[in-house]
Amino acid sequence: LQNFWTFWVTSPPGKPKLTSCRSPEKETFTCWWEPGSDGGLPTTYALYYRKENSDAVYECPDYHTAGENSCFFNKNDTSIWVNYNITVVATNALGSNFSDPVDVDVVYIVQPHTPENVTVTVMEDKDGPFLRVSWEPPRKADTRSGWITLIYELRVKLEGEEEWEEHRAGQQKMFNIFSLRSGGMYLVQVRCKPDHGFWSEWSSTTYIKVPDYFPRETSVWILIAVFSAFIFFILTWILNLKSNSVKHCLLPPVPGPKIKGFDKQLLKNGRSEEVFSALVVPGFPPTTSSDCEDLLVEYLEVYTPEEQELILEEGKDLQEGCLKSKGSPSDSDSGRGSCDSHTLLMEKCGEGEGKEEKHQERAQKGKRQQKHQTGWEEGDVSHTREDVLSPDMSEGRVKTWPSVFSPLPQYSSRPLDHQGSLETARQLCLSDSLFPPPSTSSHLSYNAKEGLALGSGQQEFYLGKKQTHPSNPQSQPRWHLQAHSDFNISSMDRKQAASGLQLPGFRSTEYVEVQRVNQEDMVILQPLFSSSCQRDGHLQIGQGEDYSKVKGVDSGNMLLLQREVEVKREEEDGDRYSCDIQDRVTESCYTTSTAASSQVTGKPTSCAGTAMPVQEEMVLAANGYVDAATMLL
Amino acid sequence: MFSLPVWVAVLALVYLDFPIRVGTAAICAHGQECHAPSLADLFDRVIQQSSRVHGISSELHSDYEQYFFPSKNHIGKRKCHTYSILTPADKENAQRLGREELTEVILRLLGAWGDPLSQLHRSMTQDQNQDFNHYSSNKALEMSDMVHELRSGVTKVAEKMKLLGVISNALGYMSSPESLAPSSVSSSYERGDFNSIDHHDLLYCFRRDSNKVKNYLRILKCTTLPELDC
Repeated sequence: LQNFWTFWVTSPPGKPKLTSCRSPEKETFTCWWEPGSDGGLPTTYALYYRKENSDAVYECPDYHTAGENSCFFNKNDTSIWVNYNITVVATNALGSNFSDPVDVDVVYIVQPHTPENVTVTVMEDKDGPFLRVSWEPPRKADTRSGWITLIYELRVKLEGEEEWEEHRAGQQKMFNIFSLRSGGMYLVQVRCKPDHGFWSEWSSTTYIKVPDYFPRETSVWILIAVFSAFIFFILTWILNLKSNSVKHCLLPPVPGPKIKGFDKQLLKNGRSEEVFSALVVPGFPPTTSSDCEDLLVEYLEVYTPEEQELILEEGKDLQEGCLKSKGSPSDSDSGRGSCDSHTLLMEKCGEGEGKEEKHQERAQKGKRQQKHQTGWEEGDVSHTREDVLSPDMSEGRVKTWPSVFSPLPQYSSRPLDHQGSLETARQLCLSDSLFPPPSTSSHLSYNAKEGLALGSGQQEFYLGKKQTHPSNPQSQPRWHLQAHSDFNISSMDRKQAASGLQLPGFRSTEYVEVQRVNQEDMVILQPLFSSSCQRDGHLQIGQGEDYSKVKGVDSGNMLLLQREVEVKREEEDGDRYSCDIQDRVTESCYTTSTAASSQVTGKPTSCAGTAMPVQEEMVLAANGYVDAATMLL
Repeated sequence: MFSLPVWVAVLALVYLDFPIRVGTAAICAHGQECHAPSLADLFDRVIQQSSRVHGISSELHSDYEQYFFPSKNHIGKRKCHTYSILTPADKENAQRLGREELTEVILRLLGAWGDPLSQLHRSMTQDQNQDFNHYSSNKALEMSDMVHELRSGVTKVAEKMKLLGVISNALGYMSSPESLAPSSVSSSYERGDFNSIDHHDLLYCFRRDSNKVKNYLRILKCTTLPELDC
C-alpha cells in the first residue's frame, strides 16, 4: 500500500512467512518464504535453522539456487530424520522481524519431480488393441539403492473429454490400458509419490492415436443377427408354402356330408325339395327298357349245407373275394369291406364287373326298375315297369342283388337298417363265374355259415354247397330256400324257416331256380341244370353250369321270385325273376307270394318239397337287391 | 424360509471355513526337502511389515495431533529414548554403513521399541479421559505386536544373510534393548506417569523410527539383492 504517507513512514519489516519446504529426492530440500511488508526500507531476509536436540543455529547456506526468497539446503546440510526448526528473519534499517518457526522433517516433505520418459505404444491383443504406457522415475530420485521408493499413477482420457481416468500403477513403471475406442486420440499423464510424501506434478501430456479396428464382439453379434434373420425368413417362407397343410393340421376341416348328389350349396341356398331332388339319381328307376344284359343279373348261389353248416364255396376264384367271414359285422351304412360293398362284390365276383358296376348303380335305379320290370307274367300290377321284366324272366335267372345284405345307402334308410342285422350273418356275393363274360349276371355267393339256424329273427338261407367240380351235377340239387325272416327291413313278421334243409352241395356258383312253390307258399328251388332260362347266351343248360335265377312266376310257369321290400314307405319293389324252368322242373310248384306290391303267382302244384316259409312279403333290399333272405316267397 | 438347523449349518460352514478354505498343509512334509523362503522373499515380507508398522504409527500420531493441541512448540523439547542409537541420517552414511551394521541398527531400533509400545498400549487403555483412546489403543496393540514380529523377521533375514555369506558373522549384536534406552527415558516410562503429551511424543518418536527401519531395510535389500523394483 503505497501512498503519500507510507513513503515517509518507515517501519521495521513485516513478518515473513515460510510457505513451504520441499525435498525432491530426500537428499536436499528447499524452503520458500514470503516476505512481509518491507517497511519502506530495503529489507533483507535471512533464514536460520536449528537442528533437533541441538542449540546451534545455522543460517541458510544458499539463498539463490532456488530462487528468490528461498533457501536451498544441499546434501551436506540435509539430514534425514532430523527435525529442522527454521525461521526467516526480515531485517531492514529499522528493525527485523522473525517469522514463525516451522518444524520440518525432511522425510515428510518429499515431493519428487515428474516421471520422465513417458512412452505410450499401441499393442495388439487377441481381444483388440491396448495401450502400453511406460516411464522412468525422475532423474534425481534414487530408487535404485532403495533410498527412496516411489509409487506411480497415471491418467488417461480421450481427446475432448472432461474426465480423466486414473490408474494406480504401484511401484511398476509400466501399465496397460484396455478397452479402447477405435480410432480415438488418447492423452496420457503420469505422476509419482514417495510412500510418505507428496505427489509430483503430472508429466507432460503424451498423445497417442488408436488405430481403427473392428471389435470382435460386434462382429460376432452381427453374424448372429444376420444368421437369425436368414433362418427367420426361411421359416416364414416355408410356413407360407405349407400354410395349407399347417392349417389342416391345426384346424382340421370339419367333415361334410358325403352323399352322392348332395349339394351343400343347394342345401344352404335352396329349398329342401331341390336338395332331395338332386339326390335322385337320374336314370333310376330305369324308365327305358333296358337290355337284359344291361341290367344287373344276379345269381343267387346256393350252397348245400353240410352238417348243418354252410360250406363256403371256394371253388371259384370268384368266390374268394366274396367270402366273408361270418363274423363280419356289417351295418347298413357305408364302410363295408370288400364283400360288404356291393360294388366291390361285383368287382370281385368276376366278370362283368363293369357291367356289374353299372348294374350296381342301377341297383338303385335298375333294381327297382327290374323289379318293376320283371313283372309277373301274369301281369303283376305292382310293378310299374314290366316291359323289361320279360326278358329277364325268361332268362330264368335268379336275380339277386349283388349285395344282398348291403343295400346301397342311397336307396333307403330303413330297409338298410333292418338288413344290417341280417347281413352280419351272411353275405351274398354275386358271382358271375358260371356265366360267360357277357353275362351280366352277378352271383351271390352266400357265405353264411350259420345260415341254418340263425335264429328266429333272421332269415336264413340254407345254402348248401357242394364243393365239387362244377361238372358234377348233383342229383336232385334242390334246395329249399329257407328264410327266416325277421328282417328288420320289414317289420313284418316272417314265417320262420321250418327247418334247414340239407342241400346237396353244389358248385360254387350255382343258380337256383325256383322249382316250385308249394302250397305253403314256399319256394322250392332247384339248381338250374337244364334251365331254359335264357339270358341272352348266358344260359348254359346242361353244361354243368347250374344257374338259376328266379325271376318270378309268369304265366308260363315261370317262377318269379319276387322280392319285395317292405318298406313302410311303400317303396316296394319286388324282384321278380322269371325263369323258365322247363326241363327239370318236375314239379310245378310255384311259389306264390303275396307281396304287397308284387305277387308271385304260380300254379299251385302238388309240390312236395320242403316247405319253405313263404314270405308274403319280401324284403327287398333297399337298393333293390334281392336279399337271399328275402327269397322267401 | 429355511429352518433353524439350516441356518446353523450355513453359519457354521461360513465361519469355520470348513470346506471352503483350502487346507494349508505344510510345505515341508516329512522326509521331504524343505525349501525355505528365499532371501528375497524374506526381505519382501519384512519390508511389507515395516511399511505397515509405519503406516499405523503415522495414523496414530496424526490422530493425536488432530485431537489434541497441535502444538509444535513441543517438538524442540522432545527427546526420543532411542536417540542414543546412532543411525545414518542420509543416504551416503547409510550406504557407507555396510550391511552388517545396518542390520544391527535395525535390530536395535526394533528392540528398543518393544517395551515402550506395550506400555503405550497399556497407558492408552487405562486412560479413560478420551473417547478415542479405545480405538487408538487397538492400533497401539497391533503396532506393538507387529514390531515384535518384525524384529524376529529381521533376525531371520540376518541369519539368512549370514547363511548366504552376504554378511559376515562378525555381527556382534546381541545387546539387550534395555541398555540402549537412556535411563531417564526409561525411568519415566517405568514411572508410568504417562499422559497424552507423553503419548504424543512417544508416537512421534516411534513414527520416525519405524520410518528409519523401513528405509534401512530397503537399502539393505537393494544393496544385497539388486532387482528391478529397487
